Amino acid sequence: MAIFNSPFFEIDKSETKRYAGLRQSEFDEKIIEEACELARLIIHPTGNWEIYNYDDKTQTILSTPPFHIQGESIKKHLKGCDKVVMLSATVGQEIEDKITSLFKEGKYALSLILDAAATSAVEQNADLMEKAIFEKVSRQGYKMKWRFSPGYGDWPIEQQPEMIRTSKADIIGVHLTESMMLEPRKSITAIIGLYLMEEKCTNVEQKHNCAACDKTDCLARK
Amino acid sequence: MIHIFDGAMGTILQQKGLLAPGYCPELLNVDKPEEITAVHQQYIDAGSTIIETNTFGASPLKLAHYNLSERAREINIAAVKAARAAAGDKIKIAGSMGPTGKFIKPLGDLDFEDAYENYKVQAAALAEGGADYILIETSIDLQEMRAALLAAKEVTKLPVICQLSYSEDGRTVTGTDPQTAAITLDAMGADIIGINCSLGPEQLVPIVKILSENTEKPISVQPNAGLPQLVNGKTTFPMGPEDFGNWAPKLVQSGATYIGGCCGTSPAHIAAIKDALKDFPEPTFKPLRRRLMLSSRSKTVVVDKELPTVLIGERINPTGRKKLAAEIKDGSFLSVKKEAMDQVKAGAKLLDVNMGVGGIDQAKAMKKAITEISQLTDAPLVIDTSDPDVLEAGLRAYPGRALINSVSAEKERLRTFIPLAIKYGAAILCLPLTDDGIPKTAEERLKVMDIIISEAKKAGLKDGDFLLDGLVMTVAADQYACAHVLNTLRLYREKYGYPATMGLSNISFGLPNRPLINSTFFAMCLAAGLDAPIMNPYDEQMQNALMASMALLGKDPNGKDFSTNEKNLSVPKKAAVAKQEDLTPLEAIKQAVIEGNADAMPELLEKAFADNIDPNELTEKALTAAMNEIGVDFGAGRVFLPQVLLSAEAMRSAFNIIKEKYPAKEGEGKGTVVLATVKGDVHDLGKNIVGALLENSGFNLIDLGKDVPAEEIVATAIKNDADIVGLCALMTTTMTEIDEVIRQLKESGNTSKVIVGGAALTQDYADEAGADYYAQDAVIALNIANDIISK
Repeated sequence: MAIFNSPFFEIDKSETKRYAGLRQSEFDEKIIEEACELARLIIHPTGNWEIYNYDDKTQTILSTPPFHIQGESIKKHLKGCDKVVMLSATVGQEIEDKITSLFKEGKYALSLILDAAATSAVEQNADLMEKAIFEKVSRQGYKMKWRFSPGYGDWPIEQQPEMIRTSKADIIGVHLTESMMLEPRKSITAIIGLYLMEEKCTNVEQKHNCAACDKTDCLARK
Repeated sequence: MIHIFDGAMGTILQQKGLLAPGYCPELLNVDKPEEITAVHQQYIDAGSTIIETNTFGASPLKLAHYNLSERAREINIAAVKAARAAAGDKIKIAGSMGPTGKFIKPLGDLDFEDAYENYKVQAAALAEGGADYILIETSIDLQEMRAALLAAKEVTKLPVICQLSYSEDGRTVTGTDPQTAAITLDAMGADIIGINCSLGPEQLVPIVKILSENTEKPISVQPNAGLPQLVNGKTTFPMGPEDFGNWAPKLVQSGATYIGGCCGTSPAHIAAIKDALKDFPEPTFKPLRRRLMLSSRSKTVVVDKELPTVLIGERINPTGRKKLAAEIKDGSFLSVKKEAMDQVKAGAKLLDVNMGVGGIDQAKAMKKAITEISQLTDAPLVIDTSDPDVLEAGLRAYPGRALINSVSAEKERLRTFIPLAIKYGAAILCLPLTDDGIPKTAEERLKVMDIIISEAKKAGLKDGDFLLDGLVMTVAADQYACAHVLNTLRLYREKYGYPATMGLSNISFGLPNRPLINSTFFAMCLAAGLDAPIMNPYDEQMQNALMASMALLGKDPNGKDFSTNEKNLSVPKKAAVAKQEDLTPLEAIKQAVIEGNADAMPELLEKAFADNIDPNELTEKALTAAMNEIGVDFGAGRVFLPQVLLSAEAMRSAFNIIKEKYPAKEGEGKGTVVLATVKGDVHDLGKNIVGALLENSGFNLIDLGKDVPAEEIVATAIKNDADIVGLCALMTTTMTEIDEVIRQLKESGNTSKVIVGGAALTQDYADEAGADYYAQDAVIALNIANDIISK
């Protein structure tokens, strides 16, 4: 187990623009900046990760009790892995409340961009966690697959309760609603496959790739 | 003299089959000490002059994984004994202390004091066992290193070696660069500073170089045998002894004098190092000029007479600021955080932190402030207090090298503050005050400064640990106050050459037009030798004086920064408003909506009202027309959602103004829309956007919010005779609720048209659920609503 709360000297503005659906278009940078700075004041970034052995033959995470993976896309993604990192991260509830209250005040654009900044922040926290994990596992000869979450491809989000359990997301205050939604809303759970370098993986791309995703109308598609 | 460490221990134990799964490697020190001694002997035979105990994971926190915490002392003592059995008198023993595996607050959940106690236990046992050095190694976090170093210094007199691990980007996982590590650890009293693990020798050469350029302490380096690979199912490190040995001279040339190996290295690698350095000339080092360097966890700031001025932001100070004081008192700290961010943005390079609020636990407040600010900015901090307990709380919590504000020649201050500066590696801001008061002339001030500096040096501080205050008095009370300061600055520079600081605004107290006096005084001081003013970085006049002074004093070569700063460019600003003047009032309003310019609305509408334009015409020809145009551009991918929302804000502003002027018009909406995110779903930003567009296009909107039960939606639609019901669900797990709402609506006989949308929805799904329309995005939803009403 390792809790990690990222420092935030800045929030990635270009990612924030992407999540807000702005792509390369011109937009008032002041609003982007305002949203990113406001976000830094009110986020409470934190995350936790757990490492388990993974049985590739039965697609099972060897937690107690074990976690049987469903969904062809995730099974394919983890092919060749013999360990997995179960990760959860959040930026907390305060920013969510602010997004709502700003919208009510009629500051629509700022609210939308703050929402995007919160998304960037939770991803940034997870990115830094990955860096720390890499430092640890690379010494044992492991490489990491990109983060994969329920809902990607055909991985059913009904597996979220197992994700919450194995990533011990309750430690960082993340829980699920009855309809499988994460609360606070700006939270993630994800799995990172670990594979030994020599072994061949059928699924070789190292970075999350928008082109590989079937959600073609995504606002943030690159 | 060059010292040779040993190489990997775990690999050999593994090869010997001594490490069964689930067995604690450090327990071998107790269970089979002769095996540990044998490995040490192999390294000594290969040429090691310092061997490392098998105690990497033998701190209580790590041993807890094996339920062995209680045996930490025994295991560490046994490890040193096993090493001594091989080492005898000539070979030195370094007692190894590895990371806890957890992050220290606020980066993680481990309390600094728990980490500190953990290392105290281990360091004390290693010393008791007879180690010659304490070796803190493979740390990825400067704060953990600080805890271990403080602990080692507290319980032993042994020299301490501090080795961090760096990633390929040249920083530790938690962001520390080698310069920052060197100056922070040097100041805290580390005896040897170095690097081990993570990277091979090739990648470590540049890091060794940076360390050696920033400290005169010896440098140690223990690389891995290259980057790990997998061969025949086992993790191996590819670099053979010969290649590894070949790097040794390069590491020495870069400044290292303690060399060994980490993961993947063997006695053969160590023998290769020894061989490669056999005839290598003894390295010689010239002394460094010690400059004042301060650091945060991930950044170093240098204050020096030859470098550009460093602004110290003074705003985190509750004196005379009720709101800030109240927030410090109630623990919310929002303004503290905001001041930290804003001052850095305004150009402050160091931040002064003062928690002087009456009636609170200031030590606790200082710790909290330091902790929060260091998560938000990488500007090094200045701890501003007169209370030694508050000072220590701040220094202990701070993951870097702070500046203490301030140390005077008052006896109590000297007695309590200087030891803390030494213990925590802080620099001191020296204030020429004595128990008898403030010396007036420059010569008198210099004399007081002499006392402070000599006392501090006697206690162990060195050049590079001082920032001298000019001490500003008010010119209204003493006509020569400015002259005294300028002379003081010159004397400081002549005698010591240390950088100088001061708070400036006192000079103008009691005078009119204080900003003019302040900025003029500022420029004079900069010329006389002021390097780090403590000031309000938002003050534009001061910033202007600074910018001009930098150009005049040659610290901004050829005035490059000055010439490119937009404040100094005489190019007229683009006159967007001028364009509007050519437009009719209706066109101008339409244009403002399209540009999302809500601020322009009051003036533009005022003009339209003055021209007696009918509000209906205004709505139709300016507002609705604008929204239609934006909708088309959005559909074509020419504008994006945030721009549409800015336009909606402009619409909202316009509608509000029109409503105020013609209240009768209220309620004459286009039609009534009931909008809801369905039961089970808590994501409502998309729904809110649809609502904003509808409402600001003249619809009467009833927004029921999120997680709304079907019954409530149906009842509201019936009660308000809704024309349209808009339903939203984000996920596959919640969208089935849409089917339920539609079923109940139909059952009730209600004839409102149903529009559905949400990330997981599709046209096919909408059709099957029995919806009248599927809207892929908010603009389409608005268009559909307009179509429904106009039918």
